[in-house]
Amino acid sequence: MVDCTGGDDDYLDPNDDDEDYDAYDANFCENDVRKPNVDSIKMITKETLLAAQREHLRTVMEVLSLKEQHARTLLIHYRWDVDKLVTVLVEKGKDELYAEAGLSSVEHDNFVPAQLPSMVMCVVCTEDVPAVEVTTMDCGHCFCNSCWTEHFIVKINEGQSRRIRCMEHQCQAICDEVKIRILVSARDPNLAEKFDRFLLESYIEDNKKVKWCPSVPHCGNAIRVDDNELCEVECACGQQFCFSCLSEAHSPCSCLMWELWCKKCRDDSETVNWMTVHTKPCPNCHKLVEKNGGCNRVQCICRKEFCWFCGLSLDAGHSCGRYKEEREKVNTVIERAKTELLRYIHYHNRYKAHIDSLKLESKLKNTIQEKISWLEETITTNIDYRWVTNGLYRLFRSRRVLSFSYPFAYYMFGDEGFNNNMMKYERDIKQSLFEDQQQQLEANVEKLSSILEDHFDQFLEDEVMKMRLNVIDLSAVIDKLCKELYECIGNDLLGYHQWTTPSIAPYMSNGVDKASELVCKDMKPSHTKKNSGKDAICFTDEWPSVKRLKTDDFTHG
Amino acid sequence: MMDFARVQKELQECSKDIEGSGIRVTPKTDATLARLVGTIPGPIGTPYEGGTFQIDINLPDGYPFEPPKMQFATKVWHPNISSQSGAICLDILKDQWSPALTLKTALLSVQALLSAPQPDDPQDAVVAQQYLKDYQTFVGTARYWTESFAKISSLGVEEKVQKLVEMGFPEALVRGTLESVGGDENLALEKLCSG
Ligand SMILES: [Zn+2]
Ligand SMILES: [Zn+2]
Ligand SMILES: [Zn+2]
Ligand SMILES: [Zn+2]
Ligand SMILES: [Zn+2]
Ligand SMILES: [Zn+2]
Ligand SMILES: [Zn+2]
Repeated sequence: MVDCTGGDDDYLDPNDDDEDYDAYDANFCENDVRKPNVDSIKMITKETLLAAQREHLRTVMEVLSLKEQHARTLLIHYRWDVDKLVTVLVEKGKDELYAEAGLSSVEHDNFVPAQLPSMVMCVVCTEDVPAVEVTTMDCGHCFCNSCWTEHFIVKINEGQSRRIRCMEHQCQAICDEVKIRILVSARDPNLAEKFDRFLLESYIEDNKKVKWCPSVPHCGNAIRVDDNELCEVECACGQQFCFSCLSEAHSPCSCLMWELWCKKCRDDSETVNWMTVHTKPCPNCHKLVEKNGGCNRVQCICRKEFCWFCGLSLDAGHSCGRYKEEREKVNTVIERAKTELLRYIHYHNRYKAHIDSLKLESKLKNTIQEKISWLEETITTNIDYRWVTNGLYRLFRSRRVLSFSYPFAYYMFGDEGFNNNMMKYERDIKQSLFEDQQQQLEANVEKLSSILEDHFDQFLEDEVMKMRLNVIDLSAVIDKLCKELYECIGNDLLGYHQWTTPSIAPYMSNGVDKASELVCKDMKPSHTKKNSGKDAICFTDEWPSVKRLKTDDFTHG
Repeated sequence: MMDFARVQKELQECSKDIEGSGIRVTPKTDATLARLVGTIPGPIGTPYEGGTFQIDINLPDGYPFEPPKMQFATKVWHPNISSQSGAICLDILKDQWSPALTLKTALLSVQALLSAPQPDDPQDAVVAQQYLKDYQTFVGTARYWTESFAKISSLGVEEKVQKLVEMGFPEALVRGTLESVGGDENLALEKLCSG
């Protein structure tokens, strides 16, 4: 267990005046009941995908009195951003809005085959075709149906369904999806289906506010985030992820740092470096031999002795008198690689240790539930045990924060260019401030962990009450420290040269926001979940993932 | 499947106007219409003036709904053409291709590219760098390459005919073939050999 002195000032001594904690306790509970802002995070399923885009389509159709296919062409071009579309309309006018999106403002609905001569020359196939076998797009360009169909098939197969341009050279008009559908389905109904799916999925693919859930195997859902896109979300399938980079939730590490860290851990490049400078193959058995000590006459476990400098056997009248400088150069390269490796190992060990602790503590979920049940039977006074599970989730949450704070620190205070604008002394001050905060958090987390791991099922009532206060206090302190750590990172460290936008997802006291199912006016949600007991609702509002545990408990227990 | 009827028509159209455009498209072999050779004269007033440039054309199955694949067979020093492979960086040969375009219009665009390089969208970074930083040297190199690689051999027509006749081909056939490939003796030889 880590030394806890650093955290001692920060939580109240349970032996203080009783009234104090009751006030603190009430305050804490009030805080905790605060609903996470899930209204802005929506989950879109296969069933709701059409409904999700229909709102936008309808708005555009109404504002510009357009047909659905034309509204979709506009929305696809403006990446489903209705605000952007309206801004362009206001600033540049309708004609410009349409032209940019490849929508012809003059509709050629009055183009009836009768207006064409009975035979038309199609310039693509260079054949004369009867007027009934040609199609004219809104831009006025006319080609034979067979050529149009061929063109659409090539484009759909290239994956360009959403923006199939007219066949005429330099015509930027987008072909009418209704006409495409008619022609393609006559030739290949399966391809027409594919075309429809591509169009439907444009709402996800061409939309920065909507992303596919990155689960593997894929759950089929997409998540829409209406306000800040720099956030962490949880899909209904349970996958938690960073909405910006789609990897696992990694705050307070920034996306770029996390990407670099993952790559580093994968390559383990430092170790490889270290191996190449610290080991040499034995000329006899070819095993890698590590040099320990300053002597450059090294011996392999096969007992072969060889020269560290040239790697050759020493018994064949060996002499390779190197220049001294070169020998020193070798040594500094070794030293530098070693320092860098030790640094990486330092951060990696701590990062890994917290992840491992989290894995071990996850098992507590079940044992703690058993302990609570046991206490409920043995202690007759009616005690609300939510504080135990709340404390446990606080522990899980803060473990993740701590764990990801290490890769952050590795890059922030290393030579990776994340602190370019910082003077050395400034960096040192900031680093020590950050590390103080990190240590304080760590100390309190370890304390909470040890308390929750205790055999409190064997406690007497007053001991349980004491533990309760301890857990509530520690949880509140940890929550506060986590928040401060995020603020320190977001404002003082990362904000230092990227002040315009925060570069990490904000701290969510209650854990990663869970996406709520998208419900549209004209549709029913596919599965409505309701909790009967008032208590259960309050409970789920606090900790989304506790719900499963508790309802299971109700139904099976 | 490729629309051979259209390709056939395109070749006929093109041969009608050789005098006007100087642009020529002929099948590489008699076996297929999918492999063609295009010839464009270097534009006047450019370092390519006086040269005759050959372009290998491969028609994909999806032609004309997919763009023809074109590549310089003659070595050329130009920012948008690879000095190594002859690959061409031109929008209408990629995403701006339209089925309403033809081989002739595409070759005209390639010719226009010779007159108006676009060094900001380079195919050959070395050439583009030189074009931007040391234009005089660029012009010199491009002219030298034109002289070395794009000038139809200095032999006169009669000498070429004689050379090919000596190889064992009938004189009438040699003259006809030479004419059909624009006087290029190598191309004529290739054509004569392929039967
Ligand atoms: Zn046609
Ligand atoms: Zn058009
Ligand atoms: Zn999912
Ligand atoms: Zn991220
Ligand atoms: Zn050995
Ligand atoms: Zn020694
Ligand atoms: Zn030696």
